[in-house]
Amino acid sequence: MKSHDEPLLGVPDEPTSATRSEALVTSIRRLVAGEAYAVLCTQGERQPYGSIVAYAFGDDLSSGTFATPITTRKFRLLVECPQVALVVDNRARFPDDMMRVESVTVTGRAAHLAPGPEREFWAARLITRHPYLESFVAAATTALFCFDAVRFLHVVGFQEVRQWIPPRAG
Amino acid sequence: MDTAARWVIPLADATDEEERFVGSKAARLGALLRAGLRVPSGVCVTTAAYDRFVDDAGLRGKIHMELGRKPFEAMRWEEIWDEALRLRSAFLAAPLPAEVATAIRTALAGLADDEPLAVRSSAVGEDNAGRSFAGLHESVVGVRGVSAVLDAVRVVWASLWSDAALLYRHELGLDPMSSRMAVVVQVVVGADRAGVAFGRDPRTPAADHAVVEAVPGPCSDLVDGTVDPDRWILARATGRVLEWRPGERQETTGARMPLLTRRELDAVLAALHGIESLVGWAPDLEWGLQSDQLTLLQARPITAAADASDPRAQYLRLRPGLRRLRRLAARVAGELIPALDAEGHRLAAEDLDRLDDEGLAHAIEARAATVLRWKDIYRDEFIPFAHGVRQLGRLYNDAVRPVDPYEFVGLLRGEHMIASRRNAAVAALAADVRRQPALHPILRRIAGGLVSAHASGWSASRDEIQHVDGGREFVCSFESVIRDFMDVTYGSERLAAHPGWLLSTVLELASVPTPADHAQFDDCAGFAAAIPAPSAHDLECRLLDAVGPVRHDEAREILALGRLSWRLRDDDTLLVGRLESQLLRALAIAAARMCITGRLRADASVTPAAVPVLAAALRSADVIADLPTPDRPAHPASHRAAEEGSRQLTGQPAGPGLASGLARNIRGPADLALFRAGEILVCDAIQPAMPHLVPLAAAVVERRGGMLIHGAIIARELGIPCVNGVADAVDTVANGEFLIVDGYLGIVTVGTPDFDLERRGSF
Repeated sequence: MKSHDEPLLGVPDEPTSATRSEALVTSIRRLVAGEAYAVLCTQGERQPYGSIVAYAFGDDLSSGTFATPITTRKFRLLVECPQVALVVDNRARFPDDMMRVESVTVTGRAAHLAPGPEREFWAARLITRHPYLESFVAAATTALFCFDAVRFLHVVGFQEVRQWIPPRAG
Repeated sequence: MDTAARWVIPLADATDEEERFVGSKAARLGALLRAGLRVPSGVCVTTAAYDRFVDDAGLRGKIHMELGRKPFEAMRWEEIWDEALRLRSAFLAAPLPAEVATAIRTALAGLADDEPLAVRSSAVGEDNAGRSFAGLHESVVGVRGVSAVLDAVRVVWASLWSDAALLYRHELGLDPMSSRMAVVVQVVVGADRAGVAFGRDPRTPAADHAVVEAVPGPCSDLVDGTVDPDRWILARATGRVLEWRPGERQETTGARMPLLTRRELDAVLAALHGIESLVGWAPDLEWGLQSDQLTLLQARPITAAADASDPRAQYLRLRPGLRRLRRLAARVAGELIPALDAEGHRLAAEDLDRLDDEGLAHAIEARAATVLRWKDIYRDEFIPFAHGVRQLGRLYNDAVRPVDPYEFVGLLRGEHMIASRRNAAVAALAADVRRQPALHPILRRIAGGLVSAHASGWSASRDEIQHVDGGREFVCSFESVIRDFMDVTYGSERLAAHPGWLLSTVLELASVPTPADHAQFDDCAGFAAAIPAPSAHDLECRLLDAVGPVRHDEAREILALGRLSWRLRDDDTLLVGRLESQLLRALAIAAARMCITGRLRADASVTPAAVPVLAAALRSADVIADLPTPDRPAHPASHRAAEEGSRQLTGQPAGPGLASGLARNIRGPADLALFRAGEILVCDAIQPAMPHLVPLAAAVVERRGGMLIHGAIIARELGIPCVNGVADAVDTVANGEFLIVDGYLGIVTVGTPDFDLERRGSF
């Protein structure tokens, strides 16, 4: 695999046009709304690691949430290194047409949420999207994480990559 | 036709053509109504409403999660019941979509003014000539008020996922995921007599006979088998009574008059004929009579359901109603358990060594017959009574609506089961050893020698122990525990015949200061607030508050039955185990005699299967006792291949807590003595021979699943994490492997998570 097969970090934003930007955000929203699961990429002990997770985003897409048991490898890595990526894609919908496959790689930082209002907010968010995870999220050994989505890299048509950096409040 | 917004329709509009929309029961009642037959008025909450409810509440995902946990065939009844309980709780907790609730409310306004209503299932494809779900789905009768009806509709919907319904669908090869449920809500019509009737006798369909059964009071008393009915067999064409059998009912005194007059029988028969000419098949009819007014409650095709081989009958038998539970409680607690206990003591007291060979042969055969008889009783009466605790769970969950569907288990805390008493007695022995340091080294040495020896080894050792300070008292207590609690079998071995196994456990328990301190409990504080478990008294108050004063007596009765059922569920297993142990004792004596005379190899396998061979050999000196040598179980997978293996196993979170430690597989009786404090007990199931090991364990992992099985009960009583229902637990986990047991989530992590292999780059 050549390096340019990967989403390229630092690709400059396209010349801004409000319309194109809105279309990009709309595409990202649609993809995220349509795909309930993502691949969470973690790192630590000089080793990258990937795990499938159920996730939910906040309304403005600048942050999101996922949960994991505290006994897992990904939990240990997340505690060690908060920098994460989340890959959301629809490849399962187009098994024979790669050009229609769409993905978004979200990069950012994840923080473990202690009991309190913020945890309750994100827990409700995750359960609203994944009602069957209610008891999982409530379990004493489940850690809930909130991640800041610093950058979205949206890929269509095999290699067409566009970047969106969500505006941050304050 | 746009069905999407038709959440509720009048029952008279329900047709066969729309059976997928209204279910079979509603479609047939609609046909009867349209034909002008007397059927209680009602409405049908359609499958569209069900779909909308399930989708809006996210219940489909929950159903997939529950049913996808493991292959259906790999699940025991207990696990399926647990799934059904969790789904039922989820259904009850989920709000009805506003427009569906509004539609039901509006429909009820035109139906009844605070009259009692019956809310019944009408599943799609529920009843046809090939199958009948009668009794498997729920009905709620006597419901008053809109709010109660909305609750009852969810209860009925949830019953699509009841254990009995799931098992029956599996039996029929139906995909439960494609099942859908409509609900019929009807006015309850009073009945001084009620019953069922068959257009043709289901036992002899070729004969030109109809059958009518009648009971005093409502039809539910007949359907759930609590009242024995009067029964008529009639000539279909003429209505002539061919046979009448009065029901056996306690309330009757003096000569029994038939419950139905000739005129009333004719009315039922006319209804059968009327329905048959309307629908084209001989019906299975439920009816009620108030004064002389006949009301038809439902009609379905006659199926093989009356056949005793129908699995539905077995599922229904395992779900006793309150009246049957009362009868079972009286019989099990009042007669059977005391008789079983007495039988065990009687057999234990019998001096078999003094019997001649003929007497011993007779004793062996009598004991084998006793074991068989009690196993039948166990299957037919103890197991159904064990379901009493489920009745309690249902009452509690329906009334209290707890977040945790197993909160009711707290009501059972502190019940003094034999297993608890045994654990206390073993703990007391360990405390004795701690108090007498001089005992410890000598017991350790003796235990080492005894582990592979039999009781004879113990006889030689006891004198030595009695010479040490505290030894006499210890021997006395130890032998008392062996006699009272260890007269059980495990893998065709009597625990009582291997005192070294118990002694090893006692010494291990004595080596840890308090039962819980040995376990390496992991800290999950900070991840969720620790909520102290409410006491049994608090939960009882919660239940009584929720049901309200009118139902206090009922709730207290169900609570008492549930507690009794819970306690006896464990005790009966141990007491039947004693009978098996006593059979093995007699067989061992016979085997010893045969060995002395050279008619049996010393390594022969002496199991209950040896009864006929040994009895014959005892009776005739010419007979050689030809018994196989024991199978040496191959214990594969002590260590799994490094390149392939499980890293994380899932099961059911059966005891909350998080702990880690080294795995110890208990595959057979010889493993009992190897168990060390702080290890994770991994086994197929906690057998009656094992509960005294559990206090030593950091956690329990079992293949057998269920929240209410022995292992889960004991682990929760001791506050030890337990994950059960882990497929092939013993074969998957190797002895000595590091495990993390998450009893909150039902996850067992195998091995230490690291990237050593990746770092070494040895690929």
